[in-house]
Amino acid sequence: MSILIDGETLTTAGVHAIADGAEGILGDAARARMNETSPFAEPVLRQKWEWLVGGDAPADDAVLMTSFVHGHCAGTGSPLPAPLVRATLAARANVLAKGFSGVRPMVVEGLLRMLKENVVPQVPRQGSVGTAGCPALSHMASVVLGLGGEAWVSGELRSVETSYLAEAATQKEVLSLINGSTLTTALAAIAVERSRRILAVAMQAAALSFEVVRADTSCLDAEVLGLRGQPGGVVVAERIRAALAGSGIVGAWRKPDAFGIRCTPAVLGAAYDAVEATADIVNRELNGACDNPLVLPGGRVVEAGNFHAAPIALALDHLKIAMAQVAGISERRTFRMTHGRLSGLPSYLAESTGLNSGLMLAQYTAASRTSETKGLAHPASVDSIPTIQHREDHVSMGPGAAYMALELLEATADVVGIELLCGAQGVDLHFAAGEGPLGEGTSATHAAVRERVRTWDRDRVLHPDLSAMSALVRGTRLVGVGPAW
Amino acid sequence: MDQPHNPQLPLTGGRLTLDDVSAVARNGARVHLAKDARQRMAASRAWVASVARGELLGEDGEPMPVYGVNTGYGSLARVRLPLDKIRELSLNLVRSHAAGMGEPVEPEVVRAMMLLRANALAKGASGCRPALVDTLCEMLAEDVVPVVPSRGSCGSSGDLAPLSHLGLVLFRGEEEDEASSGMAWHKGVMMSGLKAMAAAGIPRLIPLPKEGLAICNGAQLTTAYASLAVYDASRLALEADIAASMSFEALRGTLRAFHPGVHVLRPYPGAMASAAAVRGVTAGSSLADSLPEKVQDAYSLRCVPQVHGAVRDGLRFVRGQVEIELNSATDNPIFLLNDPSSNKAFSAGLFHGEPIGLAADHLRLVLCELAAISERRIYRLATGTLSARLPPLLVQKDRPGLGLLAPQTTAAALVAECRSLAWPAAADSIPTCEDQEDMVAMSTTAARRAWQVLHSARRVIAIEMMSAAKALRWRIENNPGTVLGIGTAAAYGCVVAGLSDAMTPSKRIQAVERVLTSGDVLQAVINAGVPLEVS
Repeated sequence: MSILIDGETLTTAGVHAIADGAEGILGDAARARMNETSPFAEPVLRQKWEWLVGGDAPADDAVLMTSFVHGHCAGTGSPLPAPLVRATLAARANVLAKGFSGVRPMVVEGLLRMLKENVVPQVPRQGSVGTAGCPALSHMASVVLGLGGEAWVSGELRSVETSYLAEAATQKEVLSLINGSTLTTALAAIAVERSRRILAVAMQAAALSFEVVRADTSCLDAEVLGLRGQPGGVVVAERIRAALAGSGIVGAWRKPDAFGIRCTPAVLGAAYDAVEATADIVNRELNGACDNPLVLPGGRVVEAGNFHAAPIALALDHLKIAMAQVAGISERRTFRMTHGRLSGLPSYLAESTGLNSGLMLAQYTAASRTSETKGLAHPASVDSIPTIQHREDHVSMGPGAAYMALELLEATADVVGIELLCGAQGVDLHFAAGEGPLGEGTSATHAAVRERVRTWDRDRVLHPDLSAMSALVRGTRLVGVGPAW
Repeated sequence: MDQPHNPQLPLTGGRLTLDDVSAVARNGARVHLAKDARQRMAASRAWVASVARGELLGEDGEPMPVYGVNTGYGSLARVRLPLDKIRELSLNLVRSHAAGMGEPVEPEVVRAMMLLRANALAKGASGCRPALVDTLCEMLAEDVVPVVPSRGSCGSSGDLAPLSHLGLVLFRGEEEDEASSGMAWHKGVMMSGLKAMAAAGIPRLIPLPKEGLAICNGAQLTTAYASLAVYDASRLALEADIAASMSFEALRGTLRAFHPGVHVLRPYPGAMASAAAVRGVTAGSSLADSLPEKVQDAYSLRCVPQVHGAVRDGLRFVRGQVEIELNSATDNPIFLLNDPSSNKAFSAGLFHGEPIGLAADHLRLVLCELAAISERRIYRLATGTLSARLPPLLVQKDRPGLGLLAPQTTAAALVAECRSLAWPAAADSIPTCEDQEDMVAMSTTAARRAWQVLHSARRVIAIEMMSAAKALRWRIENNPGTVLGIGTAAAYGCVVAGLSDAMTPSKRIQAVERVLTSGDVLQAVINAGVPLEVS
């Protein structure tokens, strides 16, 4: 599989695919555009140095370039997981491919070669504030340029002394490797794709819970949702209706359920709209010129603020709140299913409770993870700390927002997985009582759970079941994307 | 592991200190069950055994119901179980409660958790055999460390899920079942609990009634994180005083703000201690008070006693809470053998993580502030217009590099991260367990986040020391005759010993972080004659 890198059509899905191992290919039109504005020979690095430092830059060009990159390599903490590094390399390649950076195609090709050969720079996770010169990108650049940066090459960590670029980089090319909102945007792309996946599963998990509590499906009525007109609500109701089609357990009988059931289209729908709104912003940014300075057609050079990650940081904070809601309402459905007096089923969905605790701790786990999402939903982008001698006096904190979002999504996936586990268990109890059949979609969801986890008959070790369900929700080969602190 | 620092520490259920926790968790200090504690445990066990045998009757003439001994757990306490079933309860408990998600808790934290649980049981109020504590002590000695998922505990009723993972390794059924034995590291190698215990030559126990509950009903993972975090944070506060003193000299600060007479007028103990620390570290400095035209400094220098002092006061509160918890019974029910009533079992809420949850939230706040004020000093050192004529960003013509440009940004990112993790975890609660557990602590999250923030805060202090050392070097090189304060000189020597001009800022930060974590800087300053201690 390969993804087109052309500065115009890259999507969050494309970034996710590259993070997961796909290659990127530079488009012909992009190559032509890049050739129009490059080579670009202005000593921009020297100018940038003098602006930032307020003193003379080193006279020697090679020393200047090396010092500039090394000087920005100030990351700290545990390394960024490999898929996120790949996502960032891909997103940066696409920004440069847009053709407004004064960078030759060979720079993009070097980045794409690293992706193809799975050369993964070792990038310390902490240290980027989401504006201009980015430590994370600098750690990558010191590998791209062969300046001794550390990278995983053929499975071993080594210092890279040979450039991945076919020719010596110009000052502008060096600057363009490290300047911009790309780290935030790449992480946001992964967050969007993960959110979409989790939301899709959350709708199926909700449908299964509808079966367990013998829900009134009036809340899914297409006409009703249409009258409100929120697009996410319409989509969610439609998907849950489809999943429940053919069910002999649920029905529209004017017996309103609790909000955790009845307001599922409202809440998951709101999350759906928020995630799609975020996706739009991220997709724009992926194909936007977030570099600085920009080289416009005709050679005009402009210093502006396109590198500031504020648009993405705000969107990520919104996404976090939305996906915390998904966990919040899912946990309440788990609570309801495991609560004997609310579900009409045995407490904790287990036989001979008392001697067995059944899925008691599954709900505790969901509560704990839900609580974490509330904390992680706190906005990162409201903070700003002045940096670099008052010059960068407002920063986005976008990378922080992205790390929090990715961690929050791990928690939400865990919570939805627990709902699936309880849903399948509740359905098994219905089956044992001769009830059924399930809807077409819920039947498939139940089967998917039972492929991985067997029915809870008597107490056993719970943890493997929870892990298996969480993996089912994530449903992706991307591993280790969650932050390690 | 290092050589044991305290060859045999007796567990009494009282007297355990934070120093002990660090020594056992990190340095392999050995522990054993004290004689008195053994007797207390045996007595409470004997009473529980008589309940389990049905010898004590309740008012209805049936065997007396005692929670968790012959009843179900949580809201299932309403279910009474026949005597022939209750042996299964303990194993069912640790298995069904071995929930949790996510990456494993760090081994040193798990070791602290094991120690704390052993000490809580040594209190003798939990109705379990001394053999449980003996086995925990052996596991610590032989380096068998259960693999415990780090996410998913509410801290009430205690850290059930994390401690149940310890229970999986510790306990077995009549028949061995490797698949139900959990996972553990033995001398650092991960394997099944069964294999780890076999490799260490430690017999696993068949749990008696109540013993499952005795292992898992308390907030020991919360407290393990909180213990190690507050232990380290208390040292970090001293290291922050040292870092501030280095910056103070580099920025040619005014010592009048640290005068003891000033602090007597607003007598917060932390502020007085912090002011004294800065005076001690900077004693003899030719840079302090060297700008007579400067009336007063910016807050990040002048208000060190107020900010670092409030941090110290907060840490004292946190330590106080943790020290109580270290030496508490945290179980349910607990057994009061001296009570005159025939029912010695008291169902109560000693497992609830709230006291440590609230403290851990406060711990995060104080660490945020320690990091935040440090970052502002780094910013001053880095900013030409604020630094008492240091070169902008400390970039020097003869040494190509961007100086403090990126490290200051990194510090800003770290501070922002600390702040965004400072939300109060314990302020939240979600009802669990069929509404029986309708107010939970969320203390485990509070404490784990404190542990995380500690590491980020330490990196900020490391960046300050690195930055201040660079500035001091410039002062020394450009002003012959410069004399550093006695503590500053010691810290400076320790910091620059690990640095070279060829290193990237990333490597430099890492190097300084190492001498902070090891305690080398603090020790060097103390050895130079500055009396710094946790207060």
